This record gives sequence, structure tokens and C-alpha cells, in this order.
Amino acid sequence: MSLINAYLLVGAILFAVGMVGFLSRRNLIMMFLSTEIMLQGVILNLVGFGLKHGQLAGQAFAMFLVVTAAVEAGLALGLVLLLFRRQKTLDVEAWQTLHG
Amino acid sequence: MTLAASEFGALGVAMLIPLLPLSGAGLVGLLGPRARRSASHWPVILGVGGAMLCSLVLLGAVQGIAADDPAQFANSYKICSWITHSWIAPANRLSFDINFRIDPLTAIMLTMVCTVSLLTLLCSRDDMRGHLRRGGRRRPERGYERFFALMSLFVFSMCTLVLAGNFLLLYLGFEAVGLCSYLLIGFHYQRPAAAAAAKKAFLVNRIGDFGFALGILFIYLWLSPHVQTNEDPLDYQVAFRYITADALSQRQCTIIALLLLCGAVGKSAQLPLQVWLPDAAEAPPPVSALIHSVTTAAAGIYMVVRCGPIFAASPTAMAVVASIGAITALFAATIALAQYDIRRILAYSTISQLGYMFLGVGVFAADSAIFHLFTHAFFKPLLLLAAGSMTSAMGGITDVRQFGGLRRVLPVTSATFVIGALALAGFPLLSGFFSEGEIVRAGFAAHPILGLIGLATGALTAFYAFRMVFLALGGRERIPQGIQRHQAGKWMAASLVLLAAGAIGAGYVGVTFEDGGLAGFIKPHGPFHEFLEPVVVPLAGTAVPPQRGADQSVVPQLGGYGDYTLTCVSGALSMIGIALAYLLYARRRGWGEAVRNAAPQVCRLLHDGYCIDEVNDTLVVRPLRRTAALLHGMDRFIVDGVVRTVSMVPRAIGLALRKLQTGSLQGYGVTMAGGLVLIVLIVWLAG
Repeated sequence: MSLINAYLLVGAILFAVGMVGFLSRRNLIMMFLSTEIMLQGVILNLVGFGLKHGQLAGQAFAMFLVVTAAVEAGLALGLVLLLFRRQKTLDVEAWQTLHG
Repeated sequence: MTLAASEFGALGVAMLIPLLPLSGAGLVGLLGPRARRSASHWPVILGVGGAMLCSLVLLGAVQGIAADDPAQFANSYKICSWITHSWIAPANRLSFDINFRIDPLTAIMLTMVCTVSLLTLLCSRDDMRGHLRRGGRRRPERGYERFFALMSLFVFSMCTLVLAGNFLLLYLGFEAVGLCSYLLIGFHYQRPAAAAAAKKAFLVNRIGDFGFALGILFIYLWLSPHVQTNEDPLDYQVAFRYITADALSQRQCTIIALLLLCGAVGKSAQLPLQVWLPDAAEAPPPVSALIHSVTTAAAGIYMVVRCGPIFAASPTAMAVVASIGAITALFAATIALAQYDIRRILAYSTISQLGYMFLGVGVFAADSAIFHLFTHAFFKPLLLLAAGSMTSAMGGITDVRQFGGLRRVLPVTSATFVIGALALAGFPLLSGFFSEGEIVRAGFAAHPILGLIGLATGALTAFYAFRMVFLALGGRERIPQGIQRHQAGKWMAASLVLLAAGAIGAGYVGVTFEDGGLAGFIKPHGPFHEFLEPVVVPLAGTAVPPQRGADQSVVPQLGGYGDYTLTCVSGALSMIGIALAYLLYARRRGWGEAVRNAAPQVCRLLHDGYCIDEVNDTLVVRPLRRTAALLHGMDRFIVDGVVRTVSMVPRAIGLALRKLQTGSLQGYGVTMAGGLVLIVLIVWLAG
């Protein structure tokens, strides 16, 4: 098993773990953290493919994504805070009234 | 002075003529309401006055060139490019220019337009001020500055129209004149009658201008294959050269000429588009004075004379011009007999006089037509302005039956009014006598019926003019209660007197003083005609005049310059008309009523102007309205229905799909994961 496959495997595991977390947890913060984990899995893929093609573009892109993820995390946590203030709970079921 | 220098000078002066009134209009229009509103007349009067001086200079310059080289007049002077390399004028073709054509006709028209406008503006300085208040000064009316700005714009439009050197610029001038008439007729837009009259004038003019535009398009379409690449088929010079050289067939010339005639008929209020002019009497008197004499109404005549080579190339078109003119002249004169509103009498009189001019143009006597336009431009504004002054003395009453004895109340106005009426009636040795006589003579030379209609119209004109004079000025003094007696202001009196001097003397530029002529010393065909000769006479030579009647041998003798029978007859008819009016309306006031009661239906018909308005309403307006209602219904139910049906589709789809929006976040997550699995499966299977 080459080094690249190891990168891809870890990325896939991270993505799967994140997805399971997103689908099984009810807490908004935990769900958000799960999406972050999924994102890390994708970023790891980028690094792995960059290594395979012998280019730095994948890694550079990964750096950008990490920064973006940090910004997005700040925004998302702010949103979660607002949602919590409105319903006094972090349970996602509380927002089920937003149907079509 | 070399020719080039004089040309250049003439062009500079010619450019100033429209620009001065335009700058006056701009100045008053922009600053008027804010700064020195009551002095709004000054920039305009100075602008138009300057234009008048320039036009006199131009007249002199044109005369100077005339002596050297008559062919010089074929020149158009390019000012600047107008439309270049656009979709209208593709790059391989030429561009359209703004160019001026300067020739005797232009010079005379400009002098006339500027002079009469200036006198009218002087008059309106008093006319547009309210009545004398107790102890106060005469205050400017509401919209004083708007009035002067628009009047100045009106003069500018007319000067552009006259100076235009190609059909496109002529059309622009035509439209601008129409727009200004609309704005000025509706000056008192608060009054429903004025607003309706303005709308009517605009719409009727649009009908005419539609034909005119079509005519211009046909000129472009049919001449384009003939002209060289660097020539503009819409330039007068080019168009007339090719048309005179038979580039177009007889039929094409007739179609173009008749379409152009539509525009002239609309502007100059000839049958069947005469309906707007009587209603336009709602305008303030100075506006009427301009519309009736040197601007809107003159624009049509000028255009027909200017496009003379096109009309001359088609005997049919000339015959149509002459018949429209003759019929309109007689028709409007009979209507004027039974009108009571002094403004409407004058409006029908204008229509009738314009008919005379069309008759003149149609029988290849364009110089006489322009001469009549010239004399008419003095006595008609005079009559209208004096009538306006009388109306305001009567506190706004316009019905002549309620007037009376105004000669004692308004001596200056009355005296000038009588002079104007005498000139209109063709009283011997006043201006109208010479010009009307010439047209009648030309009419006889073409066809006896046209001449007889001219004579009959002359007699009717004398009768209705003096019916109006005797009703308004004669009899006991009758001023409504509560109206303060007031004279015409100084400015107004001055301009009335100047116009009256013109009404007496303007005819003498068109006659030659010579022993053995009429009354021992006067012969028709004077300097005025000689001056116009380079423009108008080649036109008469280009085509055969319409076939004369069987009595060809008799008519030319009667119409010849050496014989004065016809002149004496028309003078005598004019005096008979005046005498009859005196008998019916001054000597025995009751007799006029008796005549009216003898044939009430006829009078009713004449009073309603042969019910032309009602006929138009039934034949044109109501069917059009019904069609409009039908089309509106179609638009509403069919077109809108289709649009609404199409818009239903996305709404229905949305209605069905909104059920998928369950509100459970993890549900969406599962769907997305399912989608991902699906994509992976597809990629895997495909790979």
C-alpha cells in the first residue's frame, strides 16, 4: 500500500465518521463539528492527490481551505448561538417547523 | 468682397437666425421662473429682434449674390454631420448632414417669420399681463415665462424648418413646429377646452406628418439607386436635380408629391384636416397670431413651394393641390359667414386664405402664393391681436353679437382692426387686394372654375370680414358690468400700428409703378416676384401646366397682365361684399337676423362647419375607439391569458415539490448521503 492510498484511506475514514456523526447526533454543535470533520477528510484528499501528481497546488489549496474552514466555523457558531437564543435548546428537532 | 467671403458671411448670419431665438428660449426657460420673471420678455424679444436683423442682412446678401450668379442658389451649406455610420446610414453609404439652403425663398420667409414674430412678441408683453388692478401695475399672468420661452422655441423651429437644406431637417422642423403649437395652444391647460384643442391639433398634425414621413421615405427609397455614392438623396439639391432629370417615373412622383401634400394639408389646415385650426382659437391671441400667419400654417405652404420640383413633375399632384385649395377656400369662407365667435370667424378666414395660397401653388403661381402669404402675415396677426384686445376689453366674451360700440372704447384697436379687415377683404389698393387678385388671375389662367371660385371666395371674404367689423365695432356701446374700461397697452398699440402699416403697404413690394397700369400707375408683378424668380420660375418651366379649358383663347386675355378687367371685378366684388355687410349688420341690425331666420337649417349647418367634426367623430374617432377597445380586450384575455398560463407551470411544480421540504435537518442529510452513494456507484460501475 503506497503512501497516497494511506492519505486517501484516512480521508475517507474521516469523511465517513463525520457523516455518521452528522446523521446520528441531535445536538446542533455536534452536528456542526461532524461537518467540519467531513471537510477535513476532503482536504486530506487534496493533499494526497497533490502528492500523487508531484505538485504543490493541492497543498496550497488545502491551506486556503483550512483558513476558510476557520472563518466558516466562526460564522456557524455565531448562527448556532442565535438559534439557541431563540429556542433555548440545541436540539435540532426544535426546528422541524421549518417545513414546506 | 469675393463670392466665397460673402457666402461665408451669409452662412454665419444664417446660423445666427435660429440660434438667437433658441438661446432666448433656453435662457428664459431655465432661468425664467427663478430670476426676474416679469422681465421674461426681454431675452426673447432681443433674441427674435436679433434674428430679424440677421434675416434682413441675409436678404441683402442673397440679393447681392442673385445679381452675380443665379445658379448659386442651388447650393446647400453644410453645417455639420448629423447621423453618421449608424444602422440608418451604413458605412458604405453617405451620412446625413445638417445643412442649410439659402436662396431668395428662404430669405423672404425668414424675414417674414422674424418680423411678424417680433411684432407679435411686442404685443404679447401687454397681452400676457392681467387686467389693471385698482391702483396697481399690470402683473404678469401665470406662466408668463413659459409663454415667452415657448414662443421663442416656436420661432426657432420655424426658422430651422425654413433654413433646412434636406428633407430630414425639414421633417425635424415640421415636428418641432407641431410640438410648439401643441404646447402653446394648450397654454391654459387648466381649461379643458384648451387642453382638448391642443390634443386635437397635435393628433391631426400627426396624421398629416405620417404621410409626410412616408413621402420622405419613398424619396430615399426610390432615389437611392440613382444617386452617386457620396450624394445624399434626401438633400434638396440632389433630390430636385434627379427628379427634374426624370429619374423617377410619373407615378412615383405623383405618389411622393401626394404624400408630402398630406403633411402640408395637416399643417396648413386644408380639407380634410382643417378641423384643428378653429379649435386652436383657445390659444392666447399672440399664439393664434403666429400659428395663423408665419409658423404652423405657413409651414405647409412653404413646404409645397420648396418641394416645387417634385410637385411640378406630376400634373396630377398639381391638380390635386389646386382643387384642395379652391374647395377649402370656398368651403371655409361659407362657414365663416355663420360664425359668432370672433376667434372662429378669423380661424375659418385663415383656412380660406390658406386655401387661396394652395390654389396659387397648384396653378403654377407659387410666387403669387408666397406673396399672398406675405401680405396675409401682416393683416391676419393684426386682426387676431386686435380681436384679442377687444375680447379682453369685453371681459373674455368672444361672441360678436354681444359686442358693440367698441370703436369708442378702443379707438386704436378699432382703427387697426378695420384696416386689417379691409386688407383681408381685398379692398382696392390695400395689400390683400394685390395678392388675392394675382391668385385669381392665375386661377383663371389655369381653369375658369378655379378662377370663379377665387372670385366668389373674395366676395364672401369681404362680406364676413365686415359682418364681423360692423357687429363688433358698430352699434351702441355695450361693455359688461364690472369690467374696467381699458385701452390697449403702449407696446400693444405700437405693434398694432406697425402691423397695420404692413397691412396697408406690404402689397406695394409686389407691384411695379408704371404709367398706364391700374389706376394710372400700378402694375402687378413687382420686385417681390423678381426676387423670387430664380427659385420659382424654373419650377414653372419644368412641366407642362395642366390642360386648360376649351376656351383657351379667351382666358389668357382675361388673365394677361395688360388687362385689368379681372382686377376691377375683384375690387368691385369686395366693395359689394362690404356694402352688403353694411346693409345687413350696420344699417339695419335686424336684417341680418331676418336672413338667418329665413334659412335656419342652412345657417345651423354653416355654423357647425358642415358638421365636419361630427362626421369625423362617426367615421373615424368612434370606429377607432371601438377597435381600440377590441384590441384591449384581446390583449387582456388572449395575450395575458397565455402569459398567465405559462406562469402557472412553475407554480404547480413548486406546489408538488414543497412536500419534500420536511424541516428535519437529518432527513436532508440522509438524502444527500444517498445521493453521494448513488454518484459513487455510478462512477464505480461506469469506470
